[in-house]
Amino acid sequence: MKLLSVIGQYLVLMSAVFTKPVRARIFIKRVFEEIEQIGMDSIWIVSIVSVFMGAVLTLQVAINFTSPVIPQYLIGLSARDTFILEFSSTIICLILAGKVGSNIASEIGTMRITEQIDALEIMGVNSANYLILPKITAALISFPILNLLSIILGIFGGYLIATATDVVSIYDYIYGLNYMFVPFYVTYSLIKICVFSIIITSVSSFHGYYTFGGALEVGKSSTKAVVYSIILVLLFNLILTQLLLT
Amino acid sequence: MIEVKNVNKSFGDQHVLKDVSAFFEPGKINMIIGRSGSGKTVLLKSIIGLVKPETGDIFFNEREFIRANIKFKREIRKEIGMVFQGGALFTSQTVEDNIMFPLNLFTNLTKKEKLNRVNFCLDRVNIQNANKQFPSEISGGMQKRVAIARAIALNPKYLFCDEPNSGLDPQTAIMIDQLIHNITVEYNMTTIVNTHDMNSVMEIADSIIFIYEGHKWWQGGREDIFNSENDELNDFVFASELCKKIKKTNP
Ligand SMILES: Nc1ncnc2c1ncn2[C@@H]1O[C@H](COP(=O)(O)OP(=O)(O)OP(=O)(O)O)[C@@H](O)[C@H]1O
Ligand SMILES: [Mg+2]
Repeated sequence: MKLLSVIGQYLVLMSAVFTKPVRARIFIKRVFEEIEQIGMDSIWIVSIVSVFMGAVLTLQVAINFTSPVIPQYLIGLSARDTFILEFSSTIICLILAGKVGSNIASEIGTMRITEQIDALEIMGVNSANYLILPKITAALISFPILNLLSIILGIFGGYLIATATDVVSIYDYIYGLNYMFVPFYVTYSLIKICVFSIIITSVSSFHGYYTFGGALEVGKSSTKAVVYSIILVLLFNLILTQLLLT
Repeated sequence: MIEVKNVNKSFGDQHVLKDVSAFFEPGKINMIIGRSGSGKTVLLKSIIGLVKPETGDIFFNEREFIRANIKFKREIRKEIGMVFQGGALFTSQTVEDNIMFPLNLFTNLTKKEKLNRVNFCLDRVNIQNANKQFPSEISGGMQKRVAIARAIALNPKYLFCDEPNSGLDPQTAIMIDQLIHNITVEYNMTTIVNTHDMNSVMEIADSIIFIYEGHKWWQGGREDIFNSENDELNDFVFASELCKKIKKTNP
């Protein structure tokens, strides 16, 4: 019952969010500001995590594939597919849910408790549309780019391990990267990250927007934003995989 | 002109506004006074629709507001300027951008015209050389004044001020009172000011409503307030022993 009313409240908010902005120019300016906050500021964490995980994954797979009957190029293939299918979309989004989600919820939550949202409303501005739509748009633009970046850097991390150690030869690794490549997997990955970007930004905005009280409640909203974003990302990961891959 | 009819508002089982009706005229300073927690802010927020009363009607120049749809509400709100009790400046924007904000959204002025308007408004609240500063970098009193400048940026028809001069020194407070008075008369605005500052009341109030425990307890003009027989009002106005003595010796 409570769940239903929360979903209802969420949908009502989203119906206010997805309306035409008053001024296109201001909207575009807001989107660029948000791309900087949501996208650009996340590049470093996505890069670091991807390179290291690419390296470690390759190392671990290589250690497990010691049997002579297993061809060495499978190491490259498995690094590639792990990143495209799961890591660069789902795992990266779990990290972004923590970073971007808490940031959005605390920003909007603070605006709520300091009456900045009321001030917007009193000026005749649709505050949900003004504050939230640029965030969702910015995430929809920047998350897919982060996804591709993560795929490239993850595979690069494996390449570094191939050069630095002798667990797998560079030739085998690169051969594996090209072996039986399914382009649809990239599409699948991009579809997933687009859905996740909407989930993370809208759910976090929702929790921020309905913050009532003081600084303590802003903290609680921000925690809730991260937890629910993560749960929903995992849930939709399952649903989308079922729909798109099987 | 704003008309409030039989407004009731509760939070849970706390009945905050009890059947409040009132009439606010244009070109006049309408003051709402009352003790802390009596319901002044809730009344103001009910009038502008930030709080939804259980019963009652609000009319802005005969236009029904509470049950109007959100599009119509936004149209009316473009005619409203509001100074919140806490200022409510946009913390991520500079002083200049805060005041420019409504101009950007709702006017087609050129950049230069907007800047002129911003500086004009800042000048009226006596702030110079703070354009590029952020709200966190200026004093509380200055934030209040910037909030007033933002509220008058679009020349509103209706001006709402929730304790505009609390936290200001007496001189600045009087300056703000005068400013509110002047623009109200100049532009024939309907102005409603919440306050518990008796100096402001004496300075500029044209019509006064006294809220006591959520009731509209008393209503009258500036002169009537001293001759009133209303006990609660007298307790409020002559709170200190000194004032009471003065009243006794000069009946
Ligand atoms: N959002 C809310 N939820 C619950 N109770 C509220 C809410 N807003 C106000 N109240 C209650 O309504 C009563 C009146 O509050 P209000 O803010 O109107 O007082 P006030 O007259 O403006 O006081 P002050 O002069 O201190 O600003 C208070 O008892 C307050 O606890
Ligand atoms: Mg108040």
